[in-house]
Amino acid sequence: MLEVRHLTKIYDDGTQALKDVSFSVPDGEFMVVIGLSGSGKSTMLRCINRLIDPTEGEIIWDGVDLAQLKGDDLRNARRKIGMIFQHFNLVKRSHVLTNVLTGRLGYTSSWNSLLGRFSSQDKEKALVALKRLGILEQAYKRADELSGGQQQRVGVARALMQDPKMILADEPVASLDPVLAHSIMQYLEMLNKEDGMTMICSLHYLDLVQRYSTSVIGLKDGELVYEGGKDDILAMTDEQFKNIYGEEAERVGSGLEGNLQANAGGVA
Amino acid sequence: MTDKNLNLDHIIPEDAREPSLVPAPAAALASLVVPGLGQALTRSVRRGLILFFSFLTVVGLILWRFTLAAPRDTGWWDIFKKGLYLDPFLIVVSFLFAILYLWIAFDAYSLARDRQNTPLGVFVFLAIMFFALGWQIGKINLYSFVTNADEALPALGRVGWPWEKAISYESVIFQAEADIEIPCSETPPAVNVVTDEPTLVSSPTCGILSVQEGEPGSELHLEGYNFSPGIEVNIMWKDPIGNEFRQRQGGKYVIIIPDENGYFETDIIMPYRLLPPSATEPTYIWNVFARQVAERGKAKLSDDFKKIVEKMIETIFIGMMATFFGIIFALPVSFLAARNLMSASWVTLLMYYLVRAILNIIRSIEPIIWAIIAVIVVGLGPFAGILALVLHSIAALGKLYSEAIESIDPGPIEAIQATGANWLQTVIYAVIPQIVPPFVSFTIYRWDINVRMSTIIGLVGGGGIGFLLIQYIRILDYRSAGMCVWFIAITVAILDYVSAEIRARFT
Ligand SMILES: Nc1ncnc2c1ncn2[C@@H]1O[C@H](COP(=O)(O)OP(=O)(O)O)[C@@H](O)[C@H]1O
Ligand SMILES: [Mg+2]
Repeated sequence: MLEVRHLTKIYDDGTQALKDVSFSVPDGEFMVVIGLSGSGKSTMLRCINRLIDPTEGEIIWDGVDLAQLKGDDLRNARRKIGMIFQHFNLVKRSHVLTNVLTGRLGYTSSWNSLLGRFSSQDKEKALVALKRLGILEQAYKRADELSGGQQQRVGVARALMQDPKMILADEPVASLDPVLAHSIMQYLEMLNKEDGMTMICSLHYLDLVQRYSTSVIGLKDGELVYEGGKDDILAMTDEQFKNIYGEEAERVGSGLEGNLQANAGGVA
Repeated sequence: MTDKNLNLDHIIPEDAREPSLVPAPAAALASLVVPGLGQALTRSVRRGLILFFSFLTVVGLILWRFTLAAPRDTGWWDIFKKGLYLDPFLIVVSFLFAILYLWIAFDAYSLARDRQNTPLGVFVFLAIMFFALGWQIGKINLYSFVTNADEALPALGRVGWPWEKAISYESVIFQAEADIEIPCSETPPAVNVVTDEPTLVSSPTCGILSVQEGEPGSELHLEGYNFSPGIEVNIMWKDPIGNEFRQRQGGKYVIIIPDENGYFETDIIMPYRLLPPSATEPTYIWNVFARQVAERGKAKLSDDFKKIVEKMIETIFIGMMATFFGIIFALPVSFLAARNLMSASWVTLLMYYLVRAILNIIRSIEPIIWAIIAVIVVGLGPFAGILALVLHSIAALGKLYSEAIESIDPGPIEAIQATGANWLQTVIYAVIPQIVPPFVSFTIYRWDINVRMSTIIGLVGGGGIGFLLIQYIRILDYRSAGMCVWFIAITVAILDYVSAEIRARFT
C-alpha cells in the first residue's frame, strides 16, 4: 500500500509543480496518472522514488516514509521500485545485456562494480528477463542499435531485474507508435497481473487508460483534480476525459483491436 | 531597364527613387575632382563613400609600394620613374589605377543618367585593382618557376628520391704486394704466383733506387690481377723500417684503373733512396704494393638514415608525451570548463568563464609560438617542444572534453540512480560509458595532431625531426632533408590511418 499525503514540490526556480497531492494505491493496483504536459506527472513519479526531493508531504510505503529516507535506506527502498522512462534512458553505447544488468546494481557491491562484475546468477536472470520480453537475440547488441520498441523492452527488463514490488512508468509509450504502445503496455500488464507488481503509470491516450488501468488520478497544474476506479474510467466519455486532460487527449485508434489480440497471444 | 508592368518600388533602394541632383557630365567631373563625389551628388551617398575610401586606400597602397621600390629617390616624379624601372609590375598597377580613376568618373556619369541603373562594374574593377596590388605586395613571380628551374630541379630530385643516401657501404681494401730486393743479388725474390686473390707481379723483382740529382732507378714492370674493376689503384712502397709512401711518376702519384677483369699493368721507376748511404746494408727487401679502396663491402644503413629514424622516433614520442601530459591536465580542467557542472552558483560560474577564457587564449596562440617561448625558457631540445605542445593540448583537449561532459545525457544517470545504485556505480555505469568514447576519440586525434605539429616545432628548436630537417636544409644536404620529409609523410599517413581506425571503434 502506497499512501501519498500532502505532497508538495516547489522547484528551486519557484515553480510549484505539485500542490498538496494526496492519494493511495493499494498493492497490485494498475494506477494511471493523467494530466496535461506540465501538470506535474513526472515530478510526482520522481518524488516517489526520490529522484526529486519533495518539498513537503509524506510518501508512506509499507509503513515507511520514503520522503524521509537517506543513504543506504533510500537505495534499498529504490531497489524495490522499478522505473520506466519515456525516452528509455538506456546507456546507448553499452550492450543491451549490460543495460539490463544495471538493474542489479542495488544488489551489487561497489567493489564488484569497480571491476565491472556481476554474479553469474544475475547474468542468468538478465537473459531470462530478456527472453521473457522477447529480445534475447539482441542481448549483445549496442542499445542504440535497437528500435524504439525494443529499447523500451530493455528498459522494462532493467526494471524487472530489481525484483521490484512497484513500477513507476513515466509515459512509457509516448515515444512509440500505437502498435508498439500496446505491446509495451501488455508487458506492464503482465508484470502487474502475473507478478503482482503495483503499477503507477502516466499515460496520454484514453483508450490505453480504459484498457489497462484499474484506477486513475488526474493532475492539473500540480493539483489532484480527479480520482476514479475501473468503472468510472470505462464509463468516461471522450468529453469528460478531455475536460480533465485538456485538448491533447487522443485515442490510439480503434482499428488496432485485431492486432492487439494477435499480440496478446504472442505475449502470453 | 525595369519592366513597366512590374512594381519594383519595394526593391529599389529609397535613395534611388529620386532623380540625380546634377546632370551626368557634372557628376562625372565631380568624381574626377574627388572620386566618389559625383556618385554622392546623384544621391548615391553610400556608393560614393565606399568608392572614395576605396580610392584613398588604393592611392595609399600605391604610394607605399612606389616609395618602397625606390627608397633612395626624393621627389614624386623621380620615385615614379625609378619605381616603374625597378619593378615593371608597377607599370601594370599604375595602368589599372588610371583606369580605376576614369571608371569612377564614368560610373558617376552613368549613375546620373539612370538612377536605377547601379552597375557593379566599378566594384569588380576595384577588386581587380586590389588583386593586382596584392600580386605586387606578395612579390608573386611565376616566372621564377622557370628561371630557377635549373637550380631547383636537381635539389628537388634529391628531395623527391633521397634513398641513395640511406645506404652506405663498408669500405674494403684490396691490397697485393711484391718483394723487391735492393740492389740485385744472385738470388732475387721469387716472382709472385697469380691466384684468385689480388696479386701483384713485378718483373724484375730487384733493382736499384733513384739517386737524388743523379741516376734514375731501375724500371719495374708491374702487373695486377684480380683487383676490383674500374676503381682506382694506388701504387705504394714500404721501406724496411715500415714507412709507407706513394709512388710518384713525373711529379704525380701513380693511379691506375684496372680493366673489367680486374687486371692492370704499368711501368714505374724505382723511388729515391731516403736513407743515408752510410746506413745501408748490402741488400734490403723493399715492398712495392698496390692498394685499392673499394666501397664494396656489406651494404649498411647510413649514419644519416639512422639519425633520421632516431629523430623520427623522438618526434613520435614528443607527440605522445605531450598528449599524455595534455590529458592529465586537461581532465581536471575540463570539469571546470563544463557548463552543466559549473552553473550551480555564481562562484563556480565565474570560474567557468575564467577557465574558458584562459583555454581560448592559449588555444588561439599557435604551438610554434609557444615553442619559441619554451625554447627561451628551457633551451633547445625535445623538452621545449613537449612543453609547447602540452600547453596547446591542454587548451584544445580541455575544450573538447568539457563539451563531451556538457553533452552527457542525464537520462541514464537518473535511470541508474533509480535502480538503487550508489554514486560510484552511477559514475561507472552511466557517466563513464558516455564520456569515454568521445574522450578516447579526441585524445587519439590530438596525438595525431601533436606528432604532426612536433615536426614543425622542431624547426624552431623544439627537438625531433624538424630540428634535423632544418639543419639539413641549411647545409644543403637535400638527400637527407628528403629522407626527413619522406619519414614525416609516412609517419603522418600511418598515424592518420591508425587514429581514424581507433576513432571509428569508439563512436
Ligand atoms: N527541474 C525543474 N526545475 C524547475 N521546474 C521544473 C523542473 N522540472 C519540471 N519543472 C516544472 O514543473 C512543472 C511540472 O513538470 P512535469 O512534472 O515535468 O510535468 P509533466 O510530467 O506532467 O509534463 C512544469 O511547469 C515544469 O516546467
Ligand atoms: Mg513528464
